[in-house]
Amino acid sequence: MRRGSALLPACLAALALAGCSAGEPAVPSPGARPLRVMSLNQCADQLVLALLPPERIASVTWLSRDAGTSAMAAEAARVPVNHGQAEEVLAQSPDLVIAGSFTTPALRGMLRRLGYPLVEVEDAASFADIRRITRQIAEAVGEGARGEALIAGMDRDLAALARQPTQAVRVVAWDRSGFAGGAGTLQKAILDAAGARNVAPADAQRRPDMEALLAARPALLVQGSAAPAGASLGDDVTNHRLVRRLWSGRTLGLPQAAYVCGTPAIARAALGLSRSLRDRTS
Amino acid sequence: MTARLLTPALVLLLIALASTSLLAGTVWLTPAQAAAALVDPRADLAQLVMVEVRLPRLVLALLVGGILGLSGAVLQGLLRNPLAEPGLLGVSSGASLGAVIAIYYGFAAGFTLATPLFALAGALATVAVALALGRTRGTLSLILAGIAVSAIAGAGVNLALNFAPSPYAAYEIMTWLMGSLVDRSWDHVALAAPFILVGSVLLFATARALDALALGEAQAESLGIHVRRTYLLALVGTALGVGAATAVTGAIGFVGLVAPHLVRAAVGQRPGATLLPATLAGAAIVLAADIATRLIRTGPEIKLGVFVAAVGAPFFLWLVLHVRRTGA
Amino acid sequence: MIDLALEGVTLRRGGRTVLDRVDLRFPAGRLTCVIGPNGAGKSTLLGVAAGLLAPSEGSVALDGTPLAGLPRRSLARRRAFLPQSPAVEWGIPVERVVALGLTPHLPAFGALPAAWQARIDAALTRYDLHQLRRRPATQLSGGELARVMLARATVGDPELLIIDEPTAGLDPRHALDAAARLRALADEGCTVLVALHDLDLALRMADDVVAVKGGRVLAAGPALAILDDAVLSELYDTPARVIHDKHGAAVRFLA
Repeated sequence: MRRGSALLPACLAALALAGCSAGEPAVPSPGARPLRVMSLNQCADQLVLALLPPERIASVTWLSRDAGTSAMAAEAARVPVNHGQAEEVLAQSPDLVIAGSFTTPALRGMLRRLGYPLVEVEDAASFADIRRITRQIAEAVGEGARGEALIAGMDRDLAALARQPTQAVRVVAWDRSGFAGGAGTLQKAILDAAGARNVAPADAQRRPDMEALLAARPALLVQGSAAPAGASLGDDVTNHRLVRRLWSGRTLGLPQAAYVCGTPAIARAALGLSRSLRDRTS
Repeated sequence: MTARLLTPALVLLLIALASTSLLAGTVWLTPAQAAAALVDPRADLAQLVMVEVRLPRLVLALLVGGILGLSGAVLQGLLRNPLAEPGLLGVSSGASLGAVIAIYYGFAAGFTLATPLFALAGALATVAVALALGRTRGTLSLILAGIAVSAIAGAGVNLALNFAPSPYAAYEIMTWLMGSLVDRSWDHVALAAPFILVGSVLLFATARALDALALGEAQAESLGIHVRRTYLLALVGTALGVGAATAVTGAIGFVGLVAPHLVRAAVGQRPGATLLPATLAGAAIVLAADIATRLIRTGPEIKLGVFVAAVGAPFFLWLVLHVRRTGA
Repeated sequence: MIDLALEGVTLRRGGRTVLDRVDLRFPAGRLTCVIGPNGAGKSTLLGVAAGLLAPSEGSVALDGTPLAGLPRRSLARRRAFLPQSPAVEWGIPVERVVALGLTPHLPAFGALPAAWQARIDAALTRYDLHQLRRRPATQLSGGELARVMLARATVGDPELLIIDEPTAGLDPRHALDAAARLRALADEGCTVLVALHDLDLALRMADDVVAVKGGRVLAAGPALAILDDAVLSELYDTPARVIHDKHGAAVRFLA
C-alpha cells in the first residue's frame, strides 16, 4: 500500500483543509500509531469511537449519529461524519481507513489504487467474532492495550451473566422487519447470554408470522425496534391487535443499537436485558 | 351455456380455495379443528389462528383480488384495450407513493386513516392527471398519459426510497412494495373494506355502458350512455378500490390484467358480462397465490406480489404476442 | 311518425364555423340524403341532428320538443344513430351485438329480459343474420357487418334513423342491398337521414336531398329537384350531368 503517484492529488485535496506537511512520512511504519482514523463502516465506527479520543478520529459514518441504531450517537456527534464517498476520503486525508463488508467494492478498489492504508473488517455474529474484530481494529489504530481492556470488560460482563441462575425465559424477539433472533445472529447471542430462549422457529432466513407467535406462546416479547423515528411498516406487525391484546405489558425493549454491531459493549446490553427479564418474570 | 356455468364454477373454486386457506399455514389445522375453532368461542390456539389471523387474511385476499380483477375488467372494457389494468393507468404506483409518504414521513403515526387516505389521494391524483391529459384525445392518449403518470409516481417512490430516513426504512419500503397479506388483521380489513366496497359499486354500475362502448363512443352515446360519466365512474371506482387495496397490501400487479382474460371467452367477450366473473377470478388468483406463499417454505418468505408477478409477467408476454397474432 | 327540425343551427369548433345557420326540416316517413364534398360538414350535421353534438347557436327539435330538453335515454329509444364505418371492438357474438340496440330499453342491471328475444330474432331474420348469430363480430366481412349494424340500429324500432355513410366500403351488390333496406324502413314510416357520397345511390333511394357545402345548406328539396346539373356542378365545383335512361338515372362528372 503505497501512495506513490497518487500522493499529489491527495495532498492537493488535503491542502484545502489542513495543509500537507512535506515532513510527514508518506507511509506510516508498521506499529506506528496512525494519527487520524477514518471509518467507513457503521460497526467499525463504534469500535473506533470506543478506542480513540475525538482528535484522532478523522470521521465516522453519518449513520452513527442516529440514536436509533447507534449505541454511540453522543460520541459520534463530537467528531466529523462521512457518507462513505471517495471524495470525502481525499478531502479528509486520514492516516488509516477502516472499511467494512458494506463498503462498495468500487470505493475499496479506488482507495487501494490511491494507496491509502486500508483495514477491512468483517461483520461479527458471535462474541468470539467480537473479540477477534476488536483486536484487529485496536492493533490497526495502535491501541492494543485499550482493545484488550474492552474485551476484558466484555468477558467480565459475560462471566457475571453466566453466574446467574439459569431458568431460561421463553421469548420471541421482534425487529423492525418482524421477528428476528435466528441462529447465527448477534441478537441471538445476546438473548442466549441474557438467559432468554428464543422459541420462534429457528430459521433465520424466514421471518416467522403471527401464527408462529401464537403457536410458540412466549412468556415475553423482546422488541428490537424502538427506533425514535416513529411509525414504520415493520412496526405495523407490532401493532397487530392480537399482539396488543395478548402481550401488552409483556414486551421488553432491546434497542437495535444494542445488537446491530458487534462491539464489546453488547455484553452490557445483555446484562441489562437479563435484569429486565428477571424483573418481569419474578 | 359455458357462460351460465362460469360463475357457479368460480364460486365453487373460491369456496375450495377459501377452505384450504383456512387450514394451511405455519400452524396446520385439520378440518375438524377449523370447524370447531369457528364455532367455539374459547380462545385456544386454533381459535386465535382462525379468527384473528386466517379469517381477516382470507377476507382481505378476496377483497383485494376481487377489486383488482374487477377494475381490470372495467378498464379493459372502457378503453377497449386488452392490455389495460390499474397499474397501466398509474393507479397502483400513485397509491404506493401516497402510502409510502404517509408511512415514512410521519403522517401514519398521527392518525390511523392516514395510510389509506394518502394512498387514495395518490390514486385519485394519478387518475385525475391521466384523465386531464388524455381524455380529450381518445383512449390511446389516455393510456399514454397513464403510462407517463405511472412513471412519474414510480420516480416519486424511488425518490422516497432515496431520501428514506434510514437504510432500515428504505429496506422496509422495498419489502412493503412487494405486496403481502401476511399478518394483516381485522384492523386492515376495516380500513380497506369500505373503500373497496364503494369502489366496486361504482365499477359494477358501468356494466351496461361498457357493453355499449364495444361499439365505440359515438354509438354508445347514441344509445343513451353518458360516456363521460362512465369514464368518471370507472376511474374513480378504480382509484377508490385499488387505492385502498394497495394501502393495506402493497402493490400487487398483473391480477387486473390477467383475470379478465381468463373469463372473457366464456362470456362471449361482452365487456359488461366479464365484470362479475373477473372479480371472482381475481379473488381466486390472489387467494391461490397467498396459499402458495404459505406452502413454499424454503428460504425467505416469498412475497405475494412477487409471486403473482413471477407468474403474471410471462402471461403478459404471451398475451402481447397472442394479441399481435390474432389482432383481437 | 316523427318530424325533426333544425333552426338557425350554427356550430363552431376551435374558432372554425363548421355549420353556419342551418335551417332544415326532415318530415316523418321520408328518406333524406345529405350530400356534399369532403369536409362540407355532413357528419357534423348528422351529429347535431342526432342530438350527439350541441349546436353553438340555434336549436334542434323533435316533434316540437327541443332535443336539449329530452332525457338521453328517452331520446335514445326513439332515435338510432350509426357513425361512419362502425366497428365492434370485441369478438361479441352477432346476436349480442344486435341486442345492444336495445340498451336504452333495458334496466341498468341484469340479463336481457326474455320479452326482448322476439325482437332480436325478428331483426336477425329481417337482415338474414340467423346463420351468423353466434359468429364473433370481429370475424365478419364488410357486408355482413353492415347488415349487423343495421339490425342493431333498428332492433329497437326507432322512429328516427340517422346513418353516416352506410355504404362506404361496400361492393355494389351490398350497397344496393343496404339502400333497399333503408328504403323499406322509410316506407314503413321511419324518418331516415343518411349522409352519402354515392350520388347514383341517392338518386335511387332518396325522397329528399340536402346539399351541404362549407357548412351551409346550398340547396334542399325533393331528390330530383336537387340532383340536377346546376346544383351538383356548383356543389362539387366540377361540371356534372344527370343522365336519365330506361334503367334509371346516373350522375356523370365531366372533368
